[in-house]
Amino acid sequence: MIVAKRKPFEEIKELVSGSKKLLILGCGTCVAVCLAGGEKEVAILASQLKMALTLENQDVEVDELTIERQCDREFIEEANTRVNVDDYDIILSTACGAGVQLVSDVFDHKVVLPALNTTFIGVAEGPGIWTERCRSCGDCVLAETGGICPVTMCAKGLLNGPCGGARYGKCEIDPEKDCAWTLIYNRLKKLGRLDRMEQILPPKRYSVQQYPAKTIHEAYRRRYE
Amino acid sequence: MARSLEEALTSGKFLVAASLDPPKGTDLRHLGKLIKELKGGVDVLGISDNPCAVMYMSPWAVCRLALEQGVEPIMHLTCRDRNRLALQSDLLAAASIGIKNILCVSGDHVKFGDHPDARPSHDIESVHLLEAARALAAGKDMVGNPLAGSPAFCLGATANPEADPLEPQLIKVDKKIKAGASFLVTHPVFNIENLKRFMEHVRQSNIKVLAGVRLLLPEEVPKYRDGTYPGLFVPEDVLEEIDGAGTGTCVEIAGRLLKEIKSANLCDGIHITAPGHEEMILDLF
Repeated sequence: MIVAKRKPFEEIKELVSGSKKLLILGCGTCVAVCLAGGEKEVAILASQLKMALTLENQDVEVDELTIERQCDREFIEEANTRVNVDDYDIILSTACGAGVQLVSDVFDHKVVLPALNTTFIGVAEGPGIWTERCRSCGDCVLAETGGICPVTMCAKGLLNGPCGGARYGKCEIDPEKDCAWTLIYNRLKKLGRLDRMEQILPPKRYSVQQYPAKTIHEAYRRRYE
Repeated sequence: MARSLEEALTSGKFLVAASLDPPKGTDLRHLGKLIKELKGGVDVLGISDNPCAVMYMSPWAVCRLALEQGVEPIMHLTCRDRNRLALQSDLLAAASIGIKNILCVSGDHVKFGDHPDARPSHDIESVHLLEAARALAAGKDMVGNPLAGSPAFCLGATANPEADPLEPQLIKVDKKIKAGASFLVTHPVFNIENLKRFMEHVRQSNIKVLAGVRLLLPEEVPKYRDGTYPGLFVPEDVLEEIDGAGTGTCVEIAGRLLKEIKSANLCDGIHITAPGHEEMILDLF
């Protein structure tokens, strides 16, 4: 999932300052799971903004709407049947950066602003804690590394680690941080697949990464090409 | 002209190597003086490449100075600061001015240095750099394009016999040997038993090993303890011996270790480092 964090409140307040009618548009998928931009967080942000802007003698009407997700046009377009987007002078999106951009595309005549900072692709380690696991490099080597990503987890992104700085299984940059390649070694040893670590993994193919990237499913090629 | 490293490594003589850091600036006078003092006392001089991610002059310029003074240099080349294009370019440029010996390293993390906001490259790493240098020496760049003139290299890599766990390091060392390393320079060693264990494994190949010995100083003890120097794992008993000791004692301690390594007949030579105190290197003998 995509993990994001709400921007500092003062920054958000500054962004929407001057608005007379504000819509806070929440997202019910990734950012709801990481407690940053779902329905509950939208409600909290709405209350905080109403209070803070009122204290500054700013007269603003704040509405809330959370949709299934903001990375699909159908849900964004459907939002316009539940509220009248044209009534608002600012749409404050609590989606990840991708969602904010798609909402901006769909409502390209409206000011759409981000309430979150998108941080990483990761997993929930437990309630309230998420860790980065994937850098979307487009050239996955997890088959060779026992399911542990060296691109994400190794501070130097080594494909043939460890470096000489690893100590007691910890990374040279932080004694609290595990050395990815010690983890990989232990995992492969447990799986009886240490031979994978003995092979030289070739240099990363950065050409597979396009910015911005695009994927068209085979079944839909004719529609788009 | 000094004997080449390649010849020296096959001569059977116990080799003495030391490393110097280039200047942070354009003034090469101090380096020139050090090189002159060390000439005759060392068989080969390593010139580091932004060690600990601190910005210094590029090592090729100091290697050229060493060559001019009749001293055989090893140019360190780190993958942290350049992508695969620039690394190959630098290898060709180095070869064109007579630099043959290359120590291929991935590089200390940028956080240790004086430019912590720099974006590290790590486009490729030490294993790939060895393969790339080997490819250049065979007349092609790393994607197979033919070269107009190819270099001749003696390629080296690093390893850490003090690593714990050691097994992942040994797997990595095997890869470096497979990729083209013909000599290894180890991180500083403190425990002969760890060196023995390391050598038992690498002796299976024909790789030549220069064991690292570092001059430790009492004022640096807190830094040795808190991991300021990546890859430097000083045991507590050594830290206690160094702490509060005089410089002479510290030189004796390093010298004692050097002699122990030499008389144990475990490896092919020694690689001495004494950052900031290179003038003391010959005192270790």
